[in-house]
Amino acid sequence: MTEFIQQTITGLMTGSLYSLVAAGIVLVYKSTHVVSLAHGQLVAFGALFFWLFLSGLGLPFWAGLIPAFILTALLGLAIERIALRPLIGQPLIAAFLMTFAIFIALEGIFVLYLKGETRTLPHFLPEGNFVLGNISVPINQLIGFCVALLLFAAVSLLFRYTKLGLGMRATAEDHRLAQSTGIVVKNIFSYIWILSGIVAAVAGIATANVMDIYYMLPYIGINGLIVAICGGLDSLTGALLVGLLLGVVENVGAAYLDPLVGGGIKDVAGYVVLLLVLLIRPYGLFGLVKIERI
Amino acid sequence: MGKQVRMFLKAALMISLGVVCLTGVASAKEVMYLSLADYTGPIAGLNVPGDMGLEDFIKDVNAKGGVDGVTIKFIGIDTRYDVARAVSAYKRYRRTPRLLMVNSISTGIGKAVAPLIEKDKRLQMVPGDGEFQAHLGRSFIWGPAYQDAFAAMMDWVMADWKKKGKSGAPVVGYLSWDNPYGREPLRGGKEYAEKIGIKLLPPEFFPPGTLKHDVYLTRLANAGANYILAGGVDPTPTNIIRDGYNLGLTKTIQFMTDYWGPTALGIGVHAEALEGTVIISFFQRGEDARNNPVVTDLWKRYRGSMDKFNEVYGMGMSWGMTYLAGLKIALKAAGYEKLEADDMYKAYQKLTGLNKYDIQGPCAYSPTSRLGSKLVKIYRVKAGKIVPITGWREAPNAVALHTF
Amino acid sequence: MRPCGVFDKSYALDIAIIRTWQHWTILILSLLFLYLFPLFGSYYLISFINLLSISAMVVLGLQIVSGLCGQISFGQAAFMAVGAYTSSILTIHYGLSFWLALPLSGIVAGCVGIIGGAPSLRIKGMYLAMATIAIHFVVIWLILHTEITGSFKGLYPQPPSIGGFEFDTDERMYYIIMSVLIIMTYAARNLMRSKVGRAFVAIRDNDLAAEVMGVNLYYYKLLAFFISCFYAGVAGSLWAHLITVVNVEQFTLLHALEYVGMLIIGGMGSIPGVFFGVLFIRVLNELVMFASPALAKALPWLGSSPAASLGLLAFGLAMALFLIFEPRGLAHRWEIFKASYRLYPFAH
Repeated sequence: MTEFIQQTITGLMTGSLYSLVAAGIVLVYKSTHVVSLAHGQLVAFGALFFWLFLSGLGLPFWAGLIPAFILTALLGLAIERIALRPLIGQPLIAAFLMTFAIFIALEGIFVLYLKGETRTLPHFLPEGNFVLGNISVPINQLIGFCVALLLFAAVSLLFRYTKLGLGMRATAEDHRLAQSTGIVVKNIFSYIWILSGIVAAVAGIATANVMDIYYMLPYIGINGLIVAICGGLDSLTGALLVGLLLGVVENVGAAYLDPLVGGGIKDVAGYVVLLLVLLIRPYGLFGLVKIERI
Repeated sequence: MGKQVRMFLKAALMISLGVVCLTGVASAKEVMYLSLADYTGPIAGLNVPGDMGLEDFIKDVNAKGGVDGVTIKFIGIDTRYDVARAVSAYKRYRRTPRLLMVNSISTGIGKAVAPLIEKDKRLQMVPGDGEFQAHLGRSFIWGPAYQDAFAAMMDWVMADWKKKGKSGAPVVGYLSWDNPYGREPLRGGKEYAEKIGIKLLPPEFFPPGTLKHDVYLTRLANAGANYILAGGVDPTPTNIIRDGYNLGLTKTIQFMTDYWGPTALGIGVHAEALEGTVIISFFQRGEDARNNPVVTDLWKRYRGSMDKFNEVYGMGMSWGMTYLAGLKIALKAAGYEKLEADDMYKAYQKLTGLNKYDIQGPCAYSPTSRLGSKLVKIYRVKAGKIVPITGWREAPNAVALHTF
Repeated sequence: MRPCGVFDKSYALDIAIIRTWQHWTILILSLLFLYLFPLFGSYYLISFINLLSISAMVVLGLQIVSGLCGQISFGQAAFMAVGAYTSSILTIHYGLSFWLALPLSGIVAGCVGIIGGAPSLRIKGMYLAMATIAIHFVVIWLILHTEITGSFKGLYPQPPSIGGFEFDTDERMYYIIMSVLIIMTYAARNLMRSKVGRAFVAIRDNDLAAEVMGVNLYYYKLLAFFISCFYAGVAGSLWAHLITVVNVEQFTLLHALEYVGMLIIGGMGSIPGVFFGVLFIRVLNELVMFASPALAKALPWLGSSPAASLGLLAFGLAMALFLIFEPRGLAHRWEIFKASYRLYPFAH
């Protein structure tokens, strides 16, 4: 039992990272209906910018955080303005492929900068373990978990109670309808990408705290995509809950099923969950069911 | 719109023409070295510094006038750890005259290119695939095979176990990537461990880029592991051990890594977590490499300050050393005009005992051996530095124990 | 493509693919050229054309399921893997001849494709695309974790032979691959114009409307997946016997994404578009791969690995520029050219 609880908690910690990554994808989809593959790169660049300010320039934690947010947000804005805006009106699959092209191009820059090396964030969070009985959790991951919850709360509040959030919700509902009420949809797209960039930076910093900054970091975007789809592409709640769930399923699955099938459960657990979810609830667990008419 | 498109197409055409021109220009008396490397994928941390060392070594040789006026041309192709890309890249150069060496940097790529290499009567180098020692062919291994190194590690485990005054059999866990590389060491390594009386737990496999390895580590720990060998190319092993440290396992379990474990550069802020980790290596690491003038001279000449020095650079130089020595023999035997890869293949079998300036043990290529050397050295992380705890020692022949 | 002044005077003329004697000449000459090409083409060019042809087969399949039927699939690399493994297992373990294994691997891949396409009955759009990505990983995982596929070691199929004649070089395989490609292209071209093809297009344009009109959605969607995966399976089988080693690392998600990229760049719903798309991406890939050694040579201070990452950057940028400036694909350009040729020498 203790082992089960321990595995579940470890899974929750990993899952909160997936949720953070998925949050950015959901934000973009909600308003623009573009599924972004490039998000993994935004996450990686967020972590890299933070590293640059912390280790490269030797800034303290808080002073490094703000410029990292700004730079990642600018990167998100640049993607929207330069690459995605010309595609408005094109089929969505073209926009999806565009995000793939951006992923590859940004990977080129990422790799060019790294030159085969690994960058490690300095310890900016307290070290050590939080121990309760037989269960122990690293404190820095616990902080990451709390940050994820707070971030979700903050974004939800933004959507619910601010004028900007209202605009975003209206845009998500229907672009033309929103435009006719005086909302400048194109501006909303820009704001959304900026917001998504900031969320990505948070996700990147939290992830780089667990896994170093190297070539595989951007690929966490794929896990984020699974989570976003399972949760329903337009649901923030879905992203949060499914992210946590996926972390637990992966971890507990690997703990109890690996010995039975000869290992490698982590490779597929997410995809099997995704298939099951899509077959049972085609629009994700929390997604909006769209009624189609001819 | 139309104009823009035309402009764009024109620009694309110009660029491609430029590229064609650049590749088309060839100088007199050259031999080729083709590196199928992953510069932008999961094992770039190993490929980039390795090929840097090789490139600098070749530059140095060429600057001194080459071998009897024959210069070496280095071609580095980025495969992104993708077998299909690598095969198509090899095919591009398949009929290139005097392509004397193909370095397939990835176990999967080595296996895929091997049949083509045999057909073309060329030769290739592969990281550590013991299969090529079991079936002697035209594939040469960089150092001792992965399974031999695994066996050497088991020997060390047994000795350490006895030194600590413990009785019974030590329990060893192994975890690595879920691909050909990750599984290779056990083909023969497993048999060796059983032979010397070590209890090997069921191995754990996970995809490259996994975030956390807690599940595997706890399972191994619960099964009573005394030693855990973490595979994967850095930073994977570093991250595994860091997870182990966070779980408090490093206090009770001795962590070990294979060739591609942390280098001095990678330890960085993880010094505390990695403290005490044992690393097996067939090339000089850490302080050893930093004190080897042959390596540091070349680095300083081409790369400047030692801040970014990575020990894998030295391993890359040793590829160059064998190539250079082989080339000298092949040139003497066949002369430049008639030189073919097959001559190089014969020359490589005569490299037995070639001195590699202590970067590696002496070369062990021979008509019956495809091992780059038979020696390994065991290192330990102490206070953020990698220091040797043994001298060069011969790795046991574990390849022979497995039927391939 | 037809010149000005050609009119359809009978139904037979209207439905013919090849309409004029000029067409016949061009067709026969180009077929002759294709089959005689190995006699004078360079080895590299031939092996590159083999690669192109195999990719073209995969993308033709994708064109049927995505371009015609509107079901986006990212599983094409995995279905190719199924074909490659089936063919290898049949020839290695069961001693079957390649000539039997080739169609069989197509059929097996097609059947797996029906299972893989099953989610399309409930979901569509991006959700279906993600489901096919999931299927990709599940298939690859299953291959890696079964014994008969050689697990992580892979399989080593032999090149095909006929009466002692071995097709063991790229030049020899070229004939097989080219013949299969021509047959498959012809089949795809005709499928587009048949009842089935029109049903596919109806589903793509509006599946609800199609259902109301009496198109059996389940049957036709699964059929589209079957045909598409049949193409991928056959391509996989040819690939396996061409490079004589099969390994899961040859079929990654990146390949599947590339195939979809080829489709988009070539143009959805057009058979010539498939070839344009394949050519564009493959040539770009090749340029990027071989530009980096050239770049490293031209700018020695740069080194090999930075040159490789610049290549990556160029690939991404080229694709992005393409999507911005020619979103309807190269096939659209081709249509414009054809239209202007038909009217030549008149303006309208």
